[in-house]
Amino acid sequence: MQRPLSRREMLGICQGGFGALAFTGLFGALPFGCKRPKNLAASNELYLGPHYLPKAKNVIFLYMDGGVSQVDSFDPKPRLTAENGEDPRKKFKVDATQFDNVGKILKSPWEFKQYGECGMPVSELFPHIATCADDIALIRSLTSKFPEHTNANYFLHTGSGIQGRPSMGSWMTYGLGSENKNIPGYVVLDGGLIPPGGLDNFKNGFLPASYQASILKAGVEPVANITPREGIPKLQEEKLRFIEEMDQSLMGKMGEVDAVESAISNYELAYKMQSSIPELTEFSEETKATKKLYGFDSDDPHTRGYAAQCLLARRLVERGVRFIELTCPKVEADRWDQHNNLKDGHERNAHAVDQPIAGLLKDLKSRGMLEETLVVWTGEFGRTPFAQGADGRDHNPSACSMWMAGAGIKGGTIFGRTDDYGYRVIENEVTIHDLHATIMHLLGINHELLTFRFGGRDIRLTDVHGHIVKDILA
Amino acid sequence: MELTLILTTNFLEEPSDFMIFLGRFHPLVVHLPIGFLIMAVFAQFATSQPKFHPLKPFLKYFWGLGAFSAALAVLFGYLLSLSGDYDEDILFWHKWSGVAVLACSIACYFISKKQQENSTIPKWALILLTTGTIIYTGHLGGNLTHGQTYILEYAPNPLRSMAGLPSKIEPRQKVTVLDSADVYLDLISPMMNRKCTSCHNRGKKKGDLLLTTYANLMKGGENGEVVIAGDVEASELFRRITLPGEHDDFMPSEGKRPLSDQEVAIIEWWISSGAPPEGFVPEFDTEKKITATVTNYLGLDKNNFINIDVPPADESVIDSLSDKGFIINRLMKDNYFLEANFSLSERALSTPDLDLLLQIKEQLIWLDLSNSGIQEEHLEKIGQLENLIKLDLSGNEISDSGITNLSKLTNLESLNLYNTQVSDGLLALVTRLGKLKTLFLWKTKVSDSLAVHLQKENKHLKVMHVREPIIEVN
Repeated sequence: MQRPLSRREMLGICQGGFGALAFTGLFGALPFGCKRPKNLAASNELYLGPHYLPKAKNVIFLYMDGGVSQVDSFDPKPRLTAENGEDPRKKFKVDATQFDNVGKILKSPWEFKQYGECGMPVSELFPHIATCADDIALIRSLTSKFPEHTNANYFLHTGSGIQGRPSMGSWMTYGLGSENKNIPGYVVLDGGLIPPGGLDNFKNGFLPASYQASILKAGVEPVANITPREGIPKLQEEKLRFIEEMDQSLMGKMGEVDAVESAISNYELAYKMQSSIPELTEFSEETKATKKLYGFDSDDPHTRGYAAQCLLARRLVERGVRFIELTCPKVEADRWDQHNNLKDGHERNAHAVDQPIAGLLKDLKSRGMLEETLVVWTGEFGRTPFAQGADGRDHNPSACSMWMAGAGIKGGTIFGRTDDYGYRVIENEVTIHDLHATIMHLLGINHELLTFRFGGRDIRLTDVHGHIVKDILA
Repeated sequence: MELTLILTTNFLEEPSDFMIFLGRFHPLVVHLPIGFLIMAVFAQFATSQPKFHPLKPFLKYFWGLGAFSAALAVLFGYLLSLSGDYDEDILFWHKWSGVAVLACSIACYFISKKQQENSTIPKWALILLTTGTIIYTGHLGGNLTHGQTYILEYAPNPLRSMAGLPSKIEPRQKVTVLDSADVYLDLISPMMNRKCTSCHNRGKKKGDLLLTTYANLMKGGENGEVVIAGDVEASELFRRITLPGEHDDFMPSEGKRPLSDQEVAIIEWWISSGAPPEGFVPEFDTEKKITATVTNYLGLDKNNFINIDVPPADESVIDSLSDKGFIINRLMKDNYFLEANFSLSERALSTPDLDLLLQIKEQLIWLDLSNSGIQEEHLEKIGQLENLIKLDLSGNEISDSGITNLSKLTNLESLNLYNTQVSDGLLALVTRLGKLKTLFLWKTKVSDSLAVHLQKENKHLKVMHVREPIIEVN
């Protein structure tokens, strides 16, 4: 049966006149006739790379799921100790919180000490990260627009609180391409906790499907079905060839459809990953000292797990993977979301990630890789300075502490300020959009220029917002 | 109230603010008579055609509207002229030709009202006279607001010479080195043109001050000299640009963009250096006080060659390099500098590969040859890639004898020799690489004492020769 012409074919036939105009429109900024090569580093003839000389080539995003308490980690507030147990409503205006079970002002159960030449105060929760203070730019003034995990996660990951937008890792691989043809350019290392909001935090949204994250686990089988089921390699090859033929004939019928094209390229990549991934996750070539540095010999299984994730992250950077996100391990308490039992929960979470992160920073630094890699550590929002119930803290999108280290970052900087209780930002607010703009800037991308035409307009990761946080740049 | 104020004050000598306020509506109102009268002229011509006879009864209204709005324009124009901001000679002719337009249009109104069909020749003469006067008046008005040279500024040279103007001035070549930056032509004059001459030009001459040439700048305005050579404190120009922004005397006035801190610093230096009319910056800046500021202001301080345009690299060379396993990326949008990465090729580098690389040596600024099986003999060719800023040789079997070949890479800012056999012979190389900022020496044979020595001797160099251990936490 004769199939009607698809819109794209129609425009292809009309090349030259109206068709040419519409075609350029369809492909956003690409010059007419150019097709974006997939899974390839930015090619020469068609300009896809950074807008200006980049500082960073890769990003390791250490996502602290649930929201670390800023007043217990990087933003000491002596006033909380002085006024411990008093009614917060008599001191300042208290916003409605998620559970609205507002207790008394709660002092931090942990002591702070100053570290490094910069004298950055860090609490007892992170004794190892604290030793890297001079490499860290601390931002105490991050804010979010959402007081609830799912929306706040979407906002942090995609720049929009609503499900369905492309994740920042997708944007960055879309903008810069990936260096390695055998491993996806955007990898999420699953530590055991998938953040609220689910895999939509890591999706490609309206970008082509090859830009979505691939999820790897640091373990025996990092990717599901990574070992071929067929006993004889030839059998698998023939099977794949058959699938390829089927897909091609489907393409012949449907025309160029992103879903099919991406599926084909994803199959090809999956086949390559069957050899590249086992090599990647084989840690035998790492020295004992390196493993010890990351915390492989810890008594805590969660520290060991996160250590494997961190080491894997370094190995992915070595293999040219553009954007790597680490999710948190599932400790014997909730994620960093301590609505009660703050002391126990935060200590367990901190113990799992502290040494591996410090080990990662030190390892990257000594190999010269921290010069090209940006490490970002943040949760989706902060926590309240007053208790929820007796010994928890509720969500607080009005202030959150985060840090960045590595490529292009001025180590030992502290930026932004919160009020005496650490409740609200009072100086140099950094929004999530500003954070995105800054990360993109360090990768050499002008966040205002990287767009994709969708729904009739050129859409950016930062939408119509975003200012680069220049004060933390080297 | 305002009316009595106008009538009772001696407004010719001291026009009230309110009148000048009204006067500033002149540029708005003046376009009404131009439109109406030209419409009337067209209508008058059109009605000689039978097709447009129905327009005839309306002609008198067109002329009437024209005459009425011309009267308004004359009134507002007169009020504006009281401000005294304009060249008197041009103003005189503009004023009286404006009155002539008013007179002509009133005459036309009465003629068309009487519909005297037979007296056509005087009528047409009057219409042509009106048209001519409108054009003449408008032209003078334009000269008053935009300056006399405005209209022919970009005219072709033959036209300019007919009007008795000199040929267009060729734009000055962009300065590329500080030694050829002229103090007046490259610093002061462009500054004045950007920020000052829109008001202080030959036509407008605010405060009777002209800032278009050196001679006029030194001559000063209605209150005398504005630049006292060698005396910043006494120079009115400097005082005006450094007042607080809300001060009445602050320049540039009327919310135009103020001078930047750098511009102010350069003007300050220029005046205190005796306000020289010409000469290169280094002649006057013997103590190198302003060198850094000027270098930055003129955009000369980036990697000296990075803002020099390089031609695009030969595409066939890029393609062959890609076939050999190199990943080649362009590093910025407005120039053709490249990075090359061989570390993911899964093969060892050979001499022909380097010959290819040498063909893009002009564009190549980042090179990653880590774990690429580099041999000593390869380093001679690598040492010819003179534009390299970043070079990664980690994980290769190379030693002191080979790396002496790198001494010509004087642009190098980052050199990674992690996990190589280099030892203390490195010192000779490092002293040659004046721009080096980071040097990675972990897992080499370089002694601790040399590493410490290098770090001590070179303040701007960061030497990384150990991996910080993890501290023991109880």
